[in-house]
Amino acid sequence: MSIRFEEVCKSFGPKTILNQVSFEVPKGEILFILGKSGVGKSVTLKHIVGMLKPQSGRVWVDGSDVGAQDAIGITAIRRKCGMVFQQPALLDSLTVLENVAFGLKTPQAKQVFGTLSESEIRKTVVEKLALVNLEDDILHRRPPEISYGMQKRVSLARTLAPGPQYLLFDEPTTGLDPITTNTVNDLIFDLSRKLQVTSIVVSHDMGCALKIADRILVLDQARVLSLASVEETRRSQVPLIRDFLRETLESENRGHA
Amino acid sequence: MTGFLKEVGGLTLFYGRVIRTLLTTSGNITPVFGQITQVYFRSLGTVIASGIFVGAILALQFNLVLSQYDAQTLLGGLTTSACVREVGPLIISFLLAGKIGAYTAAELGTMRVTEQVDAIECLGTDSVQYLILPRFLAIVSGSVLLLVVGLLVSTVGALAVAHWLCGINPLQYLVSIPRFAGPGVFFAGLFKSFVYGVIVAGVACYKGYTASGGARGVGRAVTQAAIYTNLLIVIANFVTSSFLDSLREILKSLSGVSG
Repeated sequence: MSIRFEEVCKSFGPKTILNQVSFEVPKGEILFILGKSGVGKSVTLKHIVGMLKPQSGRVWVDGSDVGAQDAIGITAIRRKCGMVFQQPALLDSLTVLENVAFGLKTPQAKQVFGTLSESEIRKTVVEKLALVNLEDDILHRRPPEISYGMQKRVSLARTLAPGPQYLLFDEPTTGLDPITTNTVNDLIFDLSRKLQVTSIVVSHDMGCALKIADRILVLDQARVLSLASVEETRRSQVPLIRDFLRETLESENRGHA
Repeated sequence: MTGFLKEVGGLTLFYGRVIRTLLTTSGNITPVFGQITQVYFRSLGTVIASGIFVGAILALQFNLVLSQYDAQTLLGGLTTSACVREVGPLIISFLLAGKIGAYTAAELGTMRVTEQVDAIECLGTDSVQYLILPRFLAIVSGSVLLLVVGLLVSTVGALAVAHWLCGINPLQYLVSIPRFAGPGVFFAGLFKSFVYGVIVAGVACYKGYTASGGARGVGRAVTQAAIYTNLLIVIANFVTSSFLDSLREILKSLSGVSG
């Protein structure tokens, strides 16, 4: 039960995004992927759900080679992986209830849960909203009628609804204020532990990574620069990692002072 | 040149994917009706307004020529034939391209750049089946439905002009219609509307679905959708007109042989 990258290479035109990237995320772990913008963090996530295929190398999810799957195989892998996007990506034409219930009404979900009645769907949606600290009074509102932070949390509830084994977060706190950022980060930690799912979080936020990650992977120049535990990362002398750490450690020191 | 070939290839593959999805999809057609209603009612006012004036303009222009030859009794037939066969389908498809085509490209483009399409795919739903197919079918059927409405309205517009401005007896006008606009002409009009509808639907959905690069990307997709659609409709007009003329000749010769 793991996600494994095996010497994955990916280029867009002349630009190499991933070059011989290898790592493994065992069950139950929270892995943070850090790196500068455009270094291939989101591309890494998209390989896991089969939205991109590697030019060479392999991506394994629970022993299945993602790149070798047909449409049915990809759908099965996507059922295991819930992805939270950089933007809320909620469907504006649907209410919060319909958005969160979206993944419960697919043919694949019906195979797993059976055909759920409307009351069962509503109950599941309310449960998932409660997990992300939202009340059921927003059920019949449309995404533009709620705040951006709430949209992000509804998006997370939608991802949780079909019961994924892996949670993939693509910069989940982008565009949020510091308080909501903390709330979302706490949610990622709590949900990962409570639901015992494996989480991969793409982020720029070293402070958050130090707080909730089990391990931190740093990508640089299309390669894995470092894959280490939080403590090892804190002690790292690699210049890029020191740059990421500097501001976080300074703000921690300011806090202690 | 590479860009052009890429677009042609991409559009062809997209049509293939839509047709494959159409043939393999079963079940809920409610979204299609929802989309048809939206397309239909969003364009109805524009089609009615333009239909009246298209009919009126054609009646005025034909009357100018026919009055020189004292052949105004043919006005109803000529106006209706021209409207059904050429002007009606063209005008309605241009309207659809400008209104529904642009709207669809912008809506799908926005969904693409805000990762809504990716989210749908990640939740295990085929985005072509969920997003494209209802819009595609709605635009195609909407263009045929709107043609029927547009033609009825243009006939009224033409009749009004013929009666009040050209002094032609309405009954005389209506009687001359079947002489020039038989079932074959109506078939030609519906066929052309269908073809143009397929172009509007395919190009708008394709450009929106493949948009990238944020707001600028969506803007580019909408502009390209409008340009490609209008260009393809004009080309398709020539091709379908030639095809229908050939078909008519073949049918004529066959009926001559059998007769």
